[in-house]
Amino acid sequence: MTTTTEAVTAPARRRPRVRAIEGQELALIAVVGALWVVLSIVTDTFLTTGNLQNILFTVAPIALIGIGMTAVIVTAGIDVSVGSQAAVVMVIVALLARDAGLPFLPTVAVAVVIGLVLGAINGLLVAFGGIHPIIVTFGTLNIYRFVALQIFGNEQVAGVPATLAPIGGGAEGRILGVPTAWWITLVLAAAMWCYMRYWATGRHLYAVGGDPFAARLAGVRVRRRQISAYVLTGACVGLAACILIGSGGLVQQNVGTGLELRVIAAVVIGGTSIIGGRGTVLGTLLGALLVGTVSSAVTLLSWPSELTQLFIGLFILVAVGVDLLRERRRSAR
Amino acid sequence: MTEIETVPPAERTRGEGIAARVLRIALTERIVLLAVLLVVVVVWFRVLGAGGYLVAPYDLRYLGNALESMVPFALLAIAELFVIVSGRGGIDLSVGAIVSLAGMVFGFMVGVWEWPLLPSIVGCIVVGALLGAVNGALVAYLRFPALIATLATYYAYSSLALISNANAPISTPPVVALHSLTRNIQLPLLPPIPTHVFTIMIPCVVLAWVVVSRSTYGRALYAVGTNDVAAEYATQPVARTRFTAFVISGLLSGVVAVVTVAQFASARPDAGIVGNGMALPAITVAVLGGVAIQGGIGRVGGVVVAALLITWLNAGMLLAFPEGAEGSRYQLLALGLVLVLSALLNTFALRRYGRLA
Amino acid sequence: MAGDVLLRLRGVQKRYGGVRALRGVDLDVLAGEVHALVGENGAGKSTLIKIVSGAEVADEGTVELEGTPLAGGSTQAAMAAGIATVYQEPHLFGELTVAENVFLGRELRTGGRVDWATQRTRVTELLSRIGLDPAIGDVRVADLPVAEQQLVSIAKAFAHSAKILILDEPSAILTDREIEVLFGVVRNLRAAGVGIIYISHRLDELSQISDRVTVLRDGEVVATKPTSELTVRQVAELMVGHELSSATVDRPTPTGETVLTVSGLGRTGAFSGLDLTVRKGEVVALYGLIGSGTGAIARALYGITPADEGTIRIDGEEVRLSSPQDAAAAGIAMLPGNRKQQGVFANKSIAFNISSAHLRHLAKLGFWFDRRRERSIAEDFLRRIAIKAPDVGTAVGALSGGNQQKVVLARQLVRAPRVLVLEEPTQGVDVGAKEEIHRLVLELADGGSAVLVISTDLPEVLQLADRVLVVRKGQVVREFARGASQAEVLAAAAGDEGEAVA
Repeated sequence: MTTTTEAVTAPARRRPRVRAIEGQELALIAVVGALWVVLSIVTDTFLTTGNLQNILFTVAPIALIGIGMTAVIVTAGIDVSVGSQAAVVMVIVALLARDAGLPFLPTVAVAVVIGLVLGAINGLLVAFGGIHPIIVTFGTLNIYRFVALQIFGNEQVAGVPATLAPIGGGAEGRILGVPTAWWITLVLAAAMWCYMRYWATGRHLYAVGGDPFAARLAGVRVRRRQISAYVLTGACVGLAACILIGSGGLVQQNVGTGLELRVIAAVVIGGTSIIGGRGTVLGTLLGALLVGTVSSAVTLLSWPSELTQLFIGLFILVAVGVDLLRERRRSAR
Repeated sequence: MTEIETVPPAERTRGEGIAARVLRIALTERIVLLAVLLVVVVVWFRVLGAGGYLVAPYDLRYLGNALESMVPFALLAIAELFVIVSGRGGIDLSVGAIVSLAGMVFGFMVGVWEWPLLPSIVGCIVVGALLGAVNGALVAYLRFPALIATLATYYAYSSLALISNANAPISTPPVVALHSLTRNIQLPLLPPIPTHVFTIMIPCVVLAWVVVSRSTYGRALYAVGTNDVAAEYATQPVARTRFTAFVISGLLSGVVAVVTVAQFASARPDAGIVGNGMALPAITVAVLGGVAIQGGIGRVGGVVVAALLITWLNAGMLLAFPEGAEGSRYQLLALGLVLVLSALLNTFALRRYGRLA
Repeated sequence: MAGDVLLRLRGVQKRYGGVRALRGVDLDVLAGEVHALVGENGAGKSTLIKIVSGAEVADEGTVELEGTPLAGGSTQAAMAAGIATVYQEPHLFGELTVAENVFLGRELRTGGRVDWATQRTRVTELLSRIGLDPAIGDVRVADLPVAEQQLVSIAKAFAHSAKILILDEPSAILTDREIEVLFGVVRNLRAAGVGIIYISHRLDELSQISDRVTVLRDGEVVATKPTSELTVRQVAELMVGHELSSATVDRPTPTGETVLTVSGLGRTGAFSGLDLTVRKGEVVALYGLIGSGTGAIARALYGITPADEGTIRIDGEEVRLSSPQDAAAAGIAMLPGNRKQQGVFANKSIAFNISSAHLRHLAKLGFWFDRRRERSIAEDFLRRIAIKAPDVGTAVGALSGGNQQKVVLARQLVRAPRVLVLEEPTQGVDVGAKEEIHRLVLELADGGSAVLVISTDLPEVLQLADRVLVVRKGQVVREFARGASQAEVLAAAAGDEGEAVA
C-alpha cells in the first residue's frame, strides 16, 4: 500500500538559518571594538600593555563564572549565590595556603572541589526541591556567607602566601604577556561553546530552559542537566576564587559580595535570555569584556568610579531592549 | 484538549482525621504556621533566657525595642508582595537602591535645602514612586523581564545615590533632628515601642491590606498575576495593573527611605545596598510569608507575621550569640535556612494539597 | 491485515488519592491496527496513556510489549522499547532547529558529539515523507508558523521506528487538510505493522481511520469492538452510558433588528474586507480551517488585536475597539478559545473567576470590592448552569474541563451581552457538558443577544448556527443557511470547489 503525501507547506523562503556568530554577538564585538578605538585616541593610558593586561585580568573571574552562569540561565535558572560561594572557597583556600602551606595544584584542586560541592547543593535543591532557582540561591547566598564568616571567625585572613601567583595578576601570572587567568577563561569558554553547540547534552540545556516538561517527555534528563549547570558554575567559582586570591595578601570578610550581580549583568549583556532557552558563552565573554572596558575607562577618564554601575545598568537595558525589539519583530511576522 | 485527570483536591479533604486536618491547615494556611512558629521562637528564647544562656533578658521591653528593625523589613516585604504577586516573574531587586537614592534626596531636602518636614517626606515618597514607575514602565509597558529591569535600575539608582553627594552621608543638624521621629513611645499596657511603628508601619500595613485584599485593584492584581492572558480577556488593564504594582513598591521604598534616614539620623548613600542590601531580606520575608514566586498568590497578613517572626528571631540571636559579629552571622544562617525550608514547604503543600495559603 | 498482539494491558489500576482513575483495564493493541480510544473527560484516557507512555506507574496490573513487561515510570525506557507518543499540544523548542527537535533526547551521536550530517540526511528524508519542505530541517522552530510547528511534532514521533504510536487527539490542532496528511501517514505506518492508539473527541473521524474502538467510562472498558460494527451514535451512547437526547435544534429564523454590523474589516496579514451582520437573537457561525483567519477576526471583534481597516457598528453606532475594555463597554463579550491559557484563573475560586471581568461593577465607592455580591452572583450561576462543584470557593483548577468552560462562560453572562463572541466553545469538553453549553448559547440568543460562534468543529457549527459564514484565507467565501450539509460547507472551506461569491 502506498500513500501519496503532497507537500503541505510552502518551500522555505529567506528563512533564517542558525549562524555561528549571532547578531547580538556581532553588535557586542562592534561596541567593544569601537570603545577600544575611542579610548585609545582619547587617553594615552588605555592602549598600554599594563592597562590591557589589567582589564583582561579583572574581567577573567567574571567571565569565568559567567561560563557556568550562562549554562544555568540557559536552563531557565539563576544562581545568585556565586558571591558567597567565592567567599567560602577563598577563605578556605587562603587558610590552607597560609597555615598548611599547600602547594599550587592541590590548592586549585581543593578550590574546585569546594565549588563543586556548593554548586551541587544548589543544583540538587533546584532539581529535586521544586523551588524556584532564585529562591534556592537567595537562601544559599545567606547560608554560604554564614559558612564563610564562620570560618573567618572574627578576623580577616592576612598574610596569604603567593601560592596562587601563577594565575594571579602579577608578572609571573602571564603567558606571552597575557594573564594566565585569561588563557584559562578562554580555553574553558571555547570548550563550553563547543559543548553547548555540538554536544547532545549541551543542546539539551537549551531544551531544559525552553520547556522542561516537554524536554522530560522527549527523554532529556532534565534534573541531571540542571544539576550539571549549577555544579559547573560552582567549579568555575572555585577557579575564579583562586584567581581572585592570586598573589595573596589579605582576604577580607566581605569578599565576593555583589559578584553575582556583576556576573549576571555580563551574561545578560551577552544576549542570554533570562527566561531560558537561549544564550551563548561567546556573548557572555563579550559582555564581561564590555563591563571590564567601561570600568577601566571610567578610571582612566578619572570619573567617579561609582559611574561604572550606572553604565552597567544602562548597558543591561540597551542589550535586553534590543533583544526584545528583535523578538517582537520576529513574532510580528 | 486533554484533561489532567488528577483528583480534585477539594474531594480529597473529605473524611480525613483530626491529625491530618491539623497538618493540612498548618501547611496550607501559611499564617497559622507562621503564628505557631512565632510562639515557638518566643517561648524558646524565653526558656534560653531563664536558663541563663542569653546576655540580656528576652523580655517585652526588648521585643518592643526590636520592632524598630521590623519596620523596613515589613514595608519592603510588602513592596515585594505587590510586585511578585503581579506575576510574569515579577520581582524588585532595586528596592534597596531606591531606599538609598530617595533617602539621599530626602537628606538634601531636609538637611541641605532645609525644606520643612512634611513636604520633604512627601517629596521623598514621590521620588520613590517615580523610581518605581521607571521599573514599572520597563516591565509592564516595554516588557523587560522584571529581574533584569530591576537589576539594571539597581545599578543605576545605587550609582546615582553614591554620586549624589560624592559618596558621603548627609548628617547636618536638621537630619540629625529627624531621629526624634523614631524614638520610643510609652503606651499603657505596652512596653516602649518605637513611634514610627504606629505612625508609619501600621498605617501602611492596613492600607496595603485594604488595597490587596479588599479593593478592586487587588482583585485585578491577583487576576493579572495568576494568568495575564486570561486577565486581558477578562477586560483587566494588565499593563497598568503591573505598572501600578511597581509604583507601589517604589512608594513603599520611599517610605522606608524616610524611616531609615530618621533611624540613622543621617542620609547614607549606601543605606539600602550595603552588604547584601535590603532587597534580599525583603524577598525572603515575602516568600516566607507565603508569596509564591510564580505570581498570583500571597497575602499581606502572612508577610507581616513573617516579618515579625524574622525580627524576633534575629533579636533573640543577638542575645544568644553576643560575641563580635556572631549574632548577625547566625542571622544570615537563619534567614537562608528559613527561606529554603519555607519554599520546600510550599512545594510540599502544593504537591500534597494542590494549593497553599 | 492485523496481526499479533503487540501491546497487552491486563488489570491496570491507578488511584489518585481517594479516586480510582482506572479500575482494572484490559486492552490489546495488535500489530497493524489503528485502535481508537474514546471516552468522556475523566474516563481515564489520559491516565491510561500516561501509564503506557511511561509517564506514570500503574498501581496494579501489567503492561506488556511483545510479551515483555514494561516497568513504567520512565518515558525514556518506554520510548526505547518502541512506544512513541504524540501529544496534542506540540512540545517543541523554539531555539532548537527542526532537526534537533526531531532527534531531541535520542540524538545520533559519535561519542558525545551529535552526528549532524547523518541527522540531516535522516531529517530530510523524513520531512519529505511527511509532506513538509525538507529544507526546514535547519530552521529554528521559533521561525516557523504555528501550523508547521505542529506538523513537526508529528514528524518527530514518526522519526523513530516505533512499534506502538500513541496519537493523543492529533486532529484537534490540525486543519482538515493536515488531517488528511496525518491519516495518510497513519495508514502507511499501519501497513508497516505499527500498532496505533488513536485518541479523539471527534467521533466522526473514527470510521475513517480506526479498525477497532475501545470505549472507556469511569476508568473501565465498556466495549472493544471493530469500528465497522459501531455507529457514531452507538459510540456516544457507550461513552455517556445513557441515550443521548436528539441533537437537532429547531428554532425559528430570527428576524430582530441587526445588532452587530461589520463592514470592510481587515487586519494586515490576517483577514480583509470582512462584512457580516448578526441580528438580535441570531446565532451566526464563522467556520474556517485552522489558519483561515477566524481566530484573528474574533480577536479583532474583542479588541485584543485590533483591526486596522473597516468599521464595526453596534446598534448602528460605530465603535472603536482597541482593547477588550472598549469591547466590553460596547456590550461585546467573548469566550476565548483556549480555556487554560485565556480563560481560567486555575488556582482561584469559582467566584473569583466569574467576577474577574466585572470588578468595576462590583465596586463600592469606586475601589472597595463587594465580596458579598460577588458570592451571591457566583452561587446563582452554580445553580443556574449546573456547575458541578461543592461551593463557589472551590478552585477552578480542581474542576473538570467542561465545568471550567461553564465557569468561563458564566463570566460572560453576568451582564447579558449585546454581542457574544464564542471561540471554540466546546473544545476539549465532554459530550454532556457540550450539550449543556449549546443549550446555554441558544438560551442566550433567545434572550436577545447576538451570538457569533467561531469554531472548527463542523457538526457543532451546523447544529448551532442560523447562518454559517465560511472563511478562507481571511475572507468570507460562502454563506449557508440552516440545513446545509457537512460536505458542502467543508468543501467551501477547503476550497476545492468552484467558488461562489458570498
